[in-house]
Amino acid sequence: MQVAACVKWVDLRPEVDRVHGTVRSVGGPGGAGWGISEADRAAVEVALQLGAVWSAPVAVVCAGPVGAEPVLRELLAAGVDRVVRVDTGADQPSHAAAVELAAVLSAGQLGADVVVCGDHSADRGSGTVPAFLAHHLGAAQALGLVRVEPVAGGRVRAVRRLDGGRREVLEAAVPMVLSVEGSVAELRRAPLAATLASGGREVEVRPGRPAHHVEPPRTRPWRPPPRVVPAPAGDHALDRVVQLTGALVERNPPRTVELAPAAAAREILDQLRTWGYLGADGE
Amino acid sequence: MSAGTYPEISFEARMGSVEFRIDEDRAHITVDDTKCRDCSTRGCITACPANLFVPTADGGILFNYEQCFECGTCYLVCNREGAITWTYPEGGHGVVFHRT
Amino acid sequence: MPDVDAIVVGAGPAGAAAALELARAGRSVYLLERGPFPGSKNMYGGVVYGRILDTLVPGWWDEAPVQRWVTRRATMIMTGHQALTVDFRTESWGRPPYNGATAYRPDFDAWLAGKATDAGAVLVTSTTATGLLRDGDRVVGVRTDRPDGDLTADVVIACDGVNSFLAKEAGLYPHTDPANFTVGVKETIALPREVIDERFGVRGDHGVDYEIVGCTGDVPGGGFLYTNTDTLSVGLVLSLPALAAGGTRPEELLRRMKEHPAIAPLVEGGEVKEYSAHVIPEAGYDMMPELSCDGMLVAGDAAAMCLAAGIWLEGVNFAIGSGAAAGRAAARALQRGDTSNEGLAGYRSRLESSFVLADHRKLRDAPHLVMSDLAQRQLPGLACGVAERMFRVDNPEPKPGLRRILRQELKRNGVKVRDVVSHSLRALRTFG
Repeated sequence: MQVAACVKWVDLRPEVDRVHGTVRSVGGPGGAGWGISEADRAAVEVALQLGAVWSAPVAVVCAGPVGAEPVLRELLAAGVDRVVRVDTGADQPSHAAAVELAAVLSAGQLGADVVVCGDHSADRGSGTVPAFLAHHLGAAQALGLVRVEPVAGGRVRAVRRLDGGRREVLEAAVPMVLSVEGSVAELRRAPLAATLASGGREVEVRPGRPAHHVEPPRTRPWRPPPRVVPAPAGDHALDRVVQLTGALVERNPPRTVELAPAAAAREILDQLRTWGYLGADGE
Repeated sequence: MSAGTYPEISFEARMGSVEFRIDEDRAHITVDDTKCRDCSTRGCITACPANLFVPTADGGILFNYEQCFECGTCYLVCNREGAITWTYPEGGHGVVFHRT
Repeated sequence: MPDVDAIVVGAGPAGAAAALELARAGRSVYLLERGPFPGSKNMYGGVVYGRILDTLVPGWWDEAPVQRWVTRRATMIMTGHQALTVDFRTESWGRPPYNGATAYRPDFDAWLAGKATDAGAVLVTSTTATGLLRDGDRVVGVRTDRPDGDLTADVVIACDGVNSFLAKEAGLYPHTDPANFTVGVKETIALPREVIDERFGVRGDHGVDYEIVGCTGDVPGGGFLYTNTDTLSVGLVLSLPALAAGGTRPEELLRRMKEHPAIAPLVEGGEVKEYSAHVIPEAGYDMMPELSCDGMLVAGDAAAMCLAAGIWLEGVNFAIGSGAAAGRAAARALQRGDTSNEGLAGYRSRLESSFVLADHRKLRDAPHLVMSDLAQRQLPGLACGVAERMFRVDNPEPKPGLRRILRQELKRNGVKVRDVVSHSLRALRTFG
């Protein structure tokens, strides 16, 4: 079994334009304020915990420039067995980097059975990379997790955040992609000796694909097509209003019944049958 | 304030401009507020540039450690021996300046 | 056998310079930094004077991350509604070898620490030194907050900043008196580059540095304002005891200074990008600790090597100077195999013969003079009052003589001639 964590080299405190919402980073990659986000650090810790329970090696794959390597060596010192950096040159990791990440994680190269990611990158990322990876790896996905407990045999029990303060408890098995929130776990501190020794350890580098610019399709809210309604006939305005509102048309008034669930279901089915929505046999 | 100028920012917005990598496990400031109850000066309240010390109704001091500049003003001005215990936060945590 | 020849605690300017000198002398050195990167905990309120870098990093001006070169220096004396400015500019500070530069400390300190790692020092970030390891009275290493975090060395150089818990633990500070410290607060305010050029009358990479007296209300202190490429740094330096004694809060004093008619047009319309605060060892020479003990040296702010003497506000250059001297002295001691207090005595003698201790000793009285009530309140009132009377045209009254103006203004501001004379004599002895 191979456990992997996927991290991104980002500006941890980018400038966000208050009016337009555009994100601008201060100083280039490798600048002092760059690093890996809290959620990504949590992902590395979760990967280390899974690796410890399943006695599996742990790898970290990072999209970033050469300036990211000191931070990646820190991860080696913390107990990660292997670090692969997808070289994005001097540029910020782009969409093409995600494709390369998937290639590195896939069976041909690393062969990761479990991939743990942070849920969002700090530079206003959309959080789509984990789902993208799961699609490419043909793996199950459990995203936006607030708790991950390893169970024996390559399974995890996890808790996912839902809207309205609700939680979903789910179980997943390898192959799977997990994405975790930053609060899930705090990355363990590397022992001093390992930190000092990590300076000489190797970070494997894979060339990143040249970023080709893709214009994403424009998405708009769904609007139903317009339906032409004929103008009401009638000479007098009152007639037309009455026609529009349907005030004098005969209709069945709504019926309120209070029944036990089983009886209520039967009643609903009967009613649907009388309206002709269902066949006599309930099909 | 004359028209056409930006209003002064709130204290929260001021502190919001600073990055703090908060250590959830350990507070690097602790206050023994039994000692603060008979302190007449309470210099920490006015002197702390991050406004982390607040008097409570019962005469104690409520403190926060999360948005600390780690400057040391509070323990330097504290005139009750041992009321404020102050250490540096764990390595990698605490304030991170970018443009100063 | 210790783990390493030398441990330098703190990767600020002092620590980076010390590690650089040790690494160049062929010594193994660990440079510990508690922040995630060098400079992440550091702020200042002024200018980096780089002359000390000429020997350390030749051609530093081509590569150091500088915001603007200071070609205009102004000292402003203000009262509630008046301001008198002495404004000097020279183009010669805007070309090599330059004089002073404004810079963001996280950039500058990271650059200088990079020089040390290039020379072979090993930088360990996110690691706080929590205490000293000792063998009897001798310092033999430091304890860090990482798991299995003890580290031993022949010599430790404490460059751990103004709060220096290591120097205190080693017993080098006899006592800490809050009156020896000030706290600096600062806003970094974004404005378009062209607007800054226009408001401050500079072009290209030239910039301005203002020191301001009389802007701190009921708390003794001073103000500063300087230009970065596309931000301004505006701040105050405030006396700790006065703040603690119920003075106005720092951000309120800063707000008032920014509303002063002499400052408001310079800063208005800008957005606050970052607020910061830091304590300054104000008292200089008189608060300095013992500079060494068996197995340990102290440099930079940790040794109170920060010059806050009115028109001179310097710190980074003293940090680099003392750090480099500590590094050289430690390298020499390591070579001779004697890192006891006697073996490290070369540090103090190096500092004595350089600007680091010479300037501090010469200006030891300056902080007291600058923080005195006379300099803080009475002299600004007097200077602005005299200037206003001199430049005011009271026709049809004839112009008053300077002597009469002086006499009246002395009286109006409650200044005693005796005090002015005694202060002037002290100032002459100090600055002369």
